[in-house]
Amino acid sequence: MSTQQAASDHELPEPIHARPVPRPGRWVSAAVVLVLAAMAVNALVTNPNFRWDTVWLYLRDVVVVRGVGWTLVLTFGSMAIAVVLAILLAIMRRSDNPVMKSVAWFWIWFFRGTPIYTQLVFWGLISVLYPRLSLGVPFGPEFFVFDTRDVITAFWAALVGLALNESAYLAEIVRAGLSSVDPGQSEAARALGMKESKILRRVVLPQAMRVIVPPTGNETISMLKTTSLVVAVPFTLELTYATSAIGARIYQPIPLLIVAALWYLLITSVLMVGQHYLERHYGRGFDGGATAGGRGGRGPFGRRRRPGKQALIGAAGTTKDDPFLEVTP
Amino acid sequence: MTEQDAAQDPAQATAHAMVEARGVHKVFGHGADAVHVLRGIDLDVARGSVTVVLGPSGSGKSTLLRCVNELEQITAGSIRVDGELMGYRYDAKGVLHRLHPKRIARQRARIGMVFQRFHLFGHMTALENVMEAPVQVRGTTRARARARALELLERVGLSDRVDHYPAQLSGGQQQRVAIARALAMDPEIMLFDEPTSALDPELVGEVLAVMQDLARSGMTMIVVTHEIGFAREVADHVVFMDDGVVVEEGSPGEVLENPAEPRLRDFLAHVL
Repeated sequence: MSTQQAASDHELPEPIHARPVPRPGRWVSAAVVLVLAAMAVNALVTNPNFRWDTVWLYLRDVVVVRGVGWTLVLTFGSMAIAVVLAILLAIMRRSDNPVMKSVAWFWIWFFRGTPIYTQLVFWGLISVLYPRLSLGVPFGPEFFVFDTRDVITAFWAALVGLALNESAYLAEIVRAGLSSVDPGQSEAARALGMKESKILRRVVLPQAMRVIVPPTGNETISMLKTTSLVVAVPFTLELTYATSAIGARIYQPIPLLIVAALWYLLITSVLMVGQHYLERHYGRGFDGGATAGGRGGRGPFGRRRRPGKQALIGAAGTTKDDPFLEVTP
Repeated sequence: MTEQDAAQDPAQATAHAMVEARGVHKVFGHGADAVHVLRGIDLDVARGSVTVVLGPSGSGKSTLLRCVNELEQITAGSIRVDGELMGYRYDAKGVLHRLHPKRIARQRARIGMVFQRFHLFGHMTALENVMEAPVQVRGTTRARARARALELLERVGLSDRVDHYPAQLSGGQQQRVAIARALAMDPEIMLFDEPTSALDPELVGEVLAVMQDLARSGMTMIVVTHEIGFAREVADHVVFMDDGVVVEEGSPGEVLENPAEPRLRDFLAHVL
């Protein structure tokens, strides 16, 4: 402790050496929580009713793994459609056109306001409600006619049902993201002669992503579990239905529930890692510039980053104000 | 460089001024809430000249600047830049039409603007900020835009900061990047909206030095500022605005040393 650390150009002062405040409460509380946690783990692992051998066997079952595949397809498929719709809806809500504005408002009101289960049942019944679909002039002659059952299968009904519901929630997230970007950014782009569409794509959206990504990651994880509701359509190949069907067949529902839960946990963990990297990518240039480079010191484009002075001060978490802020609004 | 050609050709300068504002009015809001910010402005800015606009806050000087590049739409009057009517066109029958936003964007591309709060694109490095408009608006190749951007960043003295994000730069450095970003479009005129008002006092000098250098190269500039020293040294023409009208204008010598208007005398007494 007594060795003096030398900085690049000057020596840092010898830090204060003082005995820390005794905190017995910390040790006691930590010990209590650790004992409780050990009891919980023990109760899970040693209980024969959980049938861990059955869990292990069915974790790798081909029907279960296929169910995981369908769950992933539904999750990412519906999220992809929902993101595109949400960006459209958010732009419509910000538009000057009263028709665009109110249609977007109505869409969000309706899909957020009704239960997802009801919506999925409805999409499952679409071929009963509208037996035939046609292409043609609105209120006029029809050119092509389809049987609804051929076009909207259970899978597509499930996918569309999930996507439309999600789009309403994501639209609000995107809208919050777009309004979080300083209007001065669009103004500067406009002054440079950029078109509105380009301003949105090149300047506003990339910066809005910083605000949009964290809640969207949250929504994706939520969607992963919501896919289990597509039994309402009914679509029966995804993870929850596949595992509970096996559980019913072999009269062991509990181990199969655990199988599904473990898979959901695994996928969620992978999603959280992905979200971390997305947040780092879209955080570039912000938060004092240090977070963009991360610990490795290299950004997403392989550029070297040095943590800013302000970033180090901010990392201490003891100040909210920016002492180096030069802007006096 | 285009700005030098324009400045050294006196024949062109006599044809028409770089900016001609005629009877410009700007009203914000409607009915009882309406605010009449510009009340009939006439202004000529000669090619290659530096015009400094002075005035107390709320006098409409920033609004006037923002009207020149159509960031604000004027309520009445007309503004011509290089002889071209901003935001409107007359058809063969003499009927006035509002221009399509794409055409307005093209008009703006020829006018550089520097803001009080810099407004650099936060998710791009200094280099990317300067390259953005040439690549996205002009369709310049990335390699070319990059070479030009490096040249401009060197000109504003920031060759060692090209890969820094705006948040990693001081205010003075950010404003110099913002000037380079505007210059990358090879504008015919540069508008400066209080470019040093958001800066710490010790950083004002570096930005003013870049602007002075730019003025010397023959760039046509309109500068809204409170820096009387800059007006005295660099300006060819000084305009004093108050309450939406031009109260007094002329050479810096006339306007700053022998102000005729009591309002201007009062203003100068406060800022000096």
